[in-house]
Amino acid sequence: MTDEGVADHYQVLEELGRGSFGVVYKAIEKATGETVAIKHIDLESSEDDIQEIQQEISVLSTCASSYVTQYKGSFLRGHKLWIVMEYLGGGSCLDLLKPGNFSEVHIAVICRELLLGLEYLHAEGKIHRDIKAANVLLSETGKVKLADFGVAAQLTHMKSQRNTFVGTPFWMAPEVIQQAGYDFKADIWSLGITAIEFALGEPPHANIHPMKVLFQIPKNPPPRLEGKFSKEFKDFIAQCLVKDPDHRPSARDLLKHRFIRSAGKVEALQELINRKQMWDAKQDRVKLPVFYQETLHNISPKNESDEWVFDTVRSVVVPRRGTVRSRKPSPAFVAEDAMRKLDVKDGPLQPITPQTVKKSTVRRQPSNAYQSHASVRRITSNGSPRASVSSKRPLQPDLSFGNSGSTTRLFRRVPSDHSNPELSPTLEEFKHNENRPPSIYQTPVEPTNKEAMIGRRLYNKAIEPSLDELHAQTATSSKRDALANLSDAFAYLNSVDPEGAYHLFRNIVTSVSQDSRLNQVILGGQNNAQPGPPPKTPVDGTPQGTVVINRERRAMSSVSVSSAASTNLPTPSSNLSPTKLLMSQENPHLLSHRRRRSAVPSDAGSVIAARSPEKGEREREREQRDREKEKLAAMEALRYPGQNAVPGMEHCKQITDLLYSRWTDGLMARWGAAGGRG
Amino acid sequence: MAFQVLFGRGRGRSPTDLPKQAREHIGKIEGPGGAAKAEELAKVLSQIKQILQGPPEGESNPDTLLQLVTSINDEDLLYLLALNLHKLPFEARKDTQVIFSYVFRFRHPTAPPKNEPHALAHVIEKRPQVLVELCRGYDHKESATPAGTVLREVLKSEAAAAVILYDDGDVPGSSAGGYSAIRRDRPQTGNGIFWAFFDWIDKGSFEVAADAFTTFRELLTKHKELVPTYLQVNFELFFHKYNTTLVQSSSYVTKRQSIKLLGEILLDRSNYNVMTAYVDRGEHLKICMNLLRDDRKMVQYEGFHVFKVFVANPHKSVPVQKILLMNREKLLHFLSHFLEDRTDDEQFIDEREFLIRQIRNMPPQPVPPLR
Repeated sequence: MTDEGVADHYQVLEELGRGSFGVVYKAIEKATGETVAIKHIDLESSEDDIQEIQQEISVLSTCASSYVTQYKGSFLRGHKLWIVMEYLGGGSCLDLLKPGNFSEVHIAVICRELLLGLEYLHAEGKIHRDIKAANVLLSETGKVKLADFGVAAQLTHMKSQRNTFVGTPFWMAPEVIQQAGYDFKADIWSLGITAIEFALGEPPHANIHPMKVLFQIPKNPPPRLEGKFSKEFKDFIAQCLVKDPDHRPSARDLLKHRFIRSAGKVEALQELINRKQMWDAKQDRVKLPVFYQETLHNISPKNESDEWVFDTVRSVVVPRRGTVRSRKPSPAFVAEDAMRKLDVKDGPLQPITPQTVKKSTVRRQPSNAYQSHASVRRITSNGSPRASVSSKRPLQPDLSFGNSGSTTRLFRRVPSDHSNPELSPTLEEFKHNENRPPSIYQTPVEPTNKEAMIGRRLYNKAIEPSLDELHAQTATSSKRDALANLSDAFAYLNSVDPEGAYHLFRNIVTSVSQDSRLNQVILGGQNNAQPGPPPKTPVDGTPQGTVVINRERRAMSSVSVSSAASTNLPTPSSNLSPTKLLMSQENPHLLSHRRRRSAVPSDAGSVIAARSPEKGEREREREQRDREKEKLAAMEALRYPGQNAVPGMEHCKQITDLLYSRWTDGLMARWGAAGGRG
Repeated sequence: MAFQVLFGRGRGRSPTDLPKQAREHIGKIEGPGGAAKAEELAKVLSQIKQILQGPPEGESNPDTLLQLVTSINDEDLLYLLALNLHKLPFEARKDTQVIFSYVFRFRHPTAPPKNEPHALAHVIEKRPQVLVELCRGYDHKESATPAGTVLREVLKSEAAAAVILYDDGDVPGSSAGGYSAIRRDRPQTGNGIFWAFFDWIDKGSFEVAADAFTTFRELLTKHKELVPTYLQVNFELFFHKYNTTLVQSSSYVTKRQSIKLLGEILLDRSNYNVMTAYVDRGEHLKICMNLLRDDRKMVQYEGFHVFKVFVANPHKSVPVQKILLMNREKLLHFLSHFLEDRTDDEQFIDEREFLIRQIRNMPPQPVPPLR
């Protein structure tokens, strides 16, 4: 698979947002000048899903309809997969609902277009299985397109059925929940729920926990639209929400419904897009607190003595390195490693050069460093190092995945959000960490003045993520090493002299801005020294839908903007103190982000089982346990739609979540048998 | 009735004429006016597809279907479609995929249930080139997905899988002479269609490579009698190609997936003899130990599941023992910190502990295995 160079065909622009399993960027195809959306999926952070991602691509690539987001191609870059899609500037319907509910006129148009899309898909033997406002995108001209085929199914025989339990609970048809075998009609039910979502801003039962909803939907009579709506609209929804799929009309039938036939032109939908733009402009985009990102740079490129010895021939090995967060070895190792480095007599295996680095850090704050190391050693010898030395994971601000019911999918998909080093932490571990201050082995210098704080912020927000990203996308090992070294060097600078980092960048930016050519190419010609209001938010449209603009990345190019912003944000150092542990409020989001695609037992386990058939029985037990964990995590991940924690009240939300997870724990014990027939 | 709706429009077409028409159109899609011919062809293919699928409610008449399938065989339509798949229009490629899928599955109700479906039996014995051409679908981005989808369905048949594995040009014993001509004890030259998969997987674009790999995996894991024999007879050729092309691939996906598949192949009981031969080689262990030091965690992790087979083997060969002993201290240190953040992967932790014990308890000098 050698398509490294393909990425150069695209000019990647700003981040559009973060979706369910990756970051989405706006980009321009250089050859044609066409704007596209590119989804970056970090394959290194997913366990077994490469085939599933491939399945999604194959469903998408066999669609050719103006009602479906057009797939343009995909290729690998390092361990990132880039999926190139049509760019849709209008955004998702979920985003468009933010300023207010849709009118019937608009809903009728959207529903007609969705029915046309479903008619196409169903004729192709495809079931979308996750119809909801978040997955309906609009072009700038108002064209309506179905997006996110992450859980779509391709039927090989037109009359076959599916049993897999996938979708998003609030929108799921009863027959999907009951796993009685379902077909295309399941999409029609979800469409009915989505129509209610358009009219009321949220699906029915939105105030109930998603896990409970799974019981309610099959048990209760179908939801009905009440209130001041037309008879036609109410009837349309009633038609979609017929519980017996055999009596539920098809997409083609529904296109003849009066509500649909009287619908107007798609251009009318531009009103929704304009409304959203106005609304965005009025918003004081209040940012969620930004969290300090603990960074541990522990492993430097290994020296020769660390390689395997094979006779006289020395094996050529790519040095392992640890600057990329996604592959950081555990902190316990880090701590031990660090201690070994401190001991001059020890460690012929250890790299030599960085020793002084760590030592000088230690020397600056000897007592601190000593303490932290001592405690680490004790814990390590206890045999349970992880709990208290686990480092804080950097968290992403401004994420909004939590506010829509997340898609439950058959296969786990771990997002690429830079914040995901542990491959599969247990829930307990996570919660545990959340309530502890980050322990660190190498105490970074406390930023003492504004410059230092900005310097640290600059490092955490811009430099390190950028280096990580670049590293992840680089395949050549020599280039990777070079980046690793650079990353280490920056980490060191950050730990001992964040102020220096600030001045370095300050100077670079100044120099760049003084050179007209550089200024134009790198800074886009803008005068970056004006702190003023943040630049106008671009219209976000992404194939993911449920994303918000994250401007962090652009903050890099305009240091002073971020400096203005940081004055009313918690400073990095504030997180070092346990009393101000602000991380926890985002953690549930992170968890849900990470786990939202996890799910529900799958037959993926059979692949694992194949590994060691001699252990078949144990494997199955393990699988069972894993499923339990995953289910638990999936439940944890399911959140009320539209309900973000009120700023300052995050802890309440957390407690609620904890209680819910206990409740569902008990629930699963009774309910455990259900689910899981692939 | 549906039949009449489809064909009653006065043109007197009968299902058996359609394959003939399709054949004629295919011959002309590249000449002058090829685009128009391609459209004509697409229409005919769509009609064939609809007959095969049957009316929305109910089934097609099996006799009609049998006639159609026979006619498709007579016209050699499957071969022509496979050969030209990448040249067909977008929708026609999808229709072709459906046609293959239905034709290869069709069995007349009166046929003995043990027989292969008619068309599949025909292809396996008389026209193995159809399957070879389907594989060549991976030469083109356009045909990779439809061809791959058809192949994976067909490969459920052991005979069809054998045809692909033993294709070897004109060499006697090649499947080119039909399934019964195959001689399983003859080593392959490496020029057959199966060996082209290595290149498709390593060099193809992501879409092609990923689809080719999925088919490759199916070929090597599905048939528990066929594959072990094949791997034993072609041991050197296969693992040389596998280790140099796939495991060392510069593509992250190819590398990771092929290490994983290697582990699956070795740990499949039916491949016991292959596994013991594999883990006797010091060279194989070296490759594997280097994987443990890859800078990407998932590569390390997949490498571990191959490495464990070497260490857990109670009859380690002398070269393997030598390498392990030479690196004993390093390995012990390395493994004790290997992928430490997999804290909830109990099986992994157990296995890692087991390996550490095994390495620690090795006798200081290599001992010839007792086998």
